Amino acid sequence: MEIQKEALLTTLEDMKKEGFDYLKGITAVDYKDHLEVVYILYNTEQKKQEILGVNLKDDESIHTVIMLYKSADWLERELSEMFSIKIIGRDAPRLLLEKWNGTEAPLRKSFAWGNEDYKRQQ
Amino acid sequence: MSIMRINVGPIHPSTHGVLRLVVDVDGDTVIDVNTHIGFLHRGVEKLMETRMYMQNPSYTEKMDYVAPLAWDDLYVHAVEIAQGKEVKEAAQYARVVLDEFQRIASHLLWLGTFCNDLGQMFTLFMWTFRERAEIIKFLEDISGSRMFYVNIRVGGLWKPLPKDFKERAYRLTDYIEEHIDQYPEVLDKNPVFSERTKDIGKLKLEDAINMGAAGPTLRASGLEYDVRKAMPYYIYDKIKFNVPTRSEGDSYARYKVRFEEMKQSISIIRQALDNFPSNEDVVGMPIKLIGPQANPEPVLLSHELPRGEGIIYMIPDKQKPYRIYMRSPTYMNLSLLSHLAKGHKFADIFSILGSLDVIMAEIDK
Repeated sequence: MEIQKEALLTTLEDMKKEGFDYLKGITAVDYKDHLEVVYILYNTEQKKQEILGVNLKDDESIHTVIMLYKSADWLERELSEMFSIKIIGRDAPRLLLEKWNGTEAPLRKSFAWGNEDYKRQQ
Repeated sequence: MSIMRINVGPIHPSTHGVLRLVVDVDGDTVIDVNTHIGFLHRGVEKLMETRMYMQNPSYTEKMDYVAPLAWDDLYVHAVEIAQGKEVKEAAQYARVVLDEFQRIASHLLWLGTFCNDLGQMFTLFMWTFRERAEIIKFLEDISGSRMFYVNIRVGGLWKPLPKDFKERAYRLTDYIEEHIDQYPEVLDKNPVFSERTKDIGKLKLEDAINMGAAGPTLRASGLEYDVRKAMPYYIYDKIKFNVPTRSEGDSYARYKVRFEEMKQSISIIRQALDNFPSNEDVVGMPIKLIGPQANPEPVLLSHELPRGEGIIYMIPDKQKPYRIYMRSPTYMNLSLLSHLAKGHKFADIFSILGSLDVIMAEIDK
């Protein structure tokens, strides 16, 4: 299901009321001209699965969903680190997976291999 | 009393890999646990984008080195969906048999090391490894490799099954069943084991769902969710088995759930062997650098791995994955540690961490 970025929180709130109470994963896909953030949700009562896609066209930030799903904590941190997507609404946490300065996004297609600028932070 | 900060790891025998915990304690009571991961991060998802489909199983195998076959099977199944290839009927049965043996082997290793984490009972460690060795030997004879099997191919397996496959598999299930029945004798009646696991690391059902717990950890809190039942793949819809659940949600419940799962796996293997197709052709496509072209439709696939639900979300390109996301179950479970450990004693952290059954290689990817 494709939704607008502005509708993310209201859509998730509605879905949670419908019974989609289990957030399985958050990831993103870099389509070169835009990024798509993907939410994998599951309804534990009706045993239904749904994918939610949000296109990020102009700016590269998305609102946090941690107040609805606590499982978003590490998933969002991984997302912001791997794709350099800004998560609005929560404090910038320390880096989770990569120990370098975190200025570039390794999972974007523009990531340059073997660049020596990626010095480890400590 | 003043709060003291204790550093555990990254190299520590009880952390099951390279995991660093920064623990704030007040006396012996845990105030907070900060989990630092990423020491084994090697960028598997990025590496897989640069390689052909059938070059990648060597990466997925190393996701969970205790149960390599399970991740391998999940990845190759996703490739089969992307390429629109059918899995041979006998190969579906064979994969279920191998997967379930892998699950038992993984749970046996977990049980042995969990008892070690509790600081005692090398006896059980030796027992579980004795049983596990038989399974490893069996898998080695089928795949030709002892640790990383890499024997799943598109459409089937690498080579034909040995002639005595069914006979040996039956004998192995009998052997395992006979031996694992002895474990509760030394665990359930052991006061040290009970004291260190009962009421330790309690996870309520609503927290388990909201915080994204996976696999046996989720089922030990009371949700009957197993991918093999909820979204059946291969032949699981033809097989009768129960999904063991508990309501306590503590370390002991997680042990009980895994123990019952081993028994269910034995039953699944026997049913798969009973109904094994007469045409035992399981050989899949040989590995070619340029394989069949994949359909660009996104693939979302879940399998029930030994540690919980593994998810692959793949955007296929013609010969390589354009983007592949692998959500590992223990990534979600480890994020629960700080929630579970608060308020317990320092030594209980390792009872909780052990009961979550983490594998750092699949967490850090």
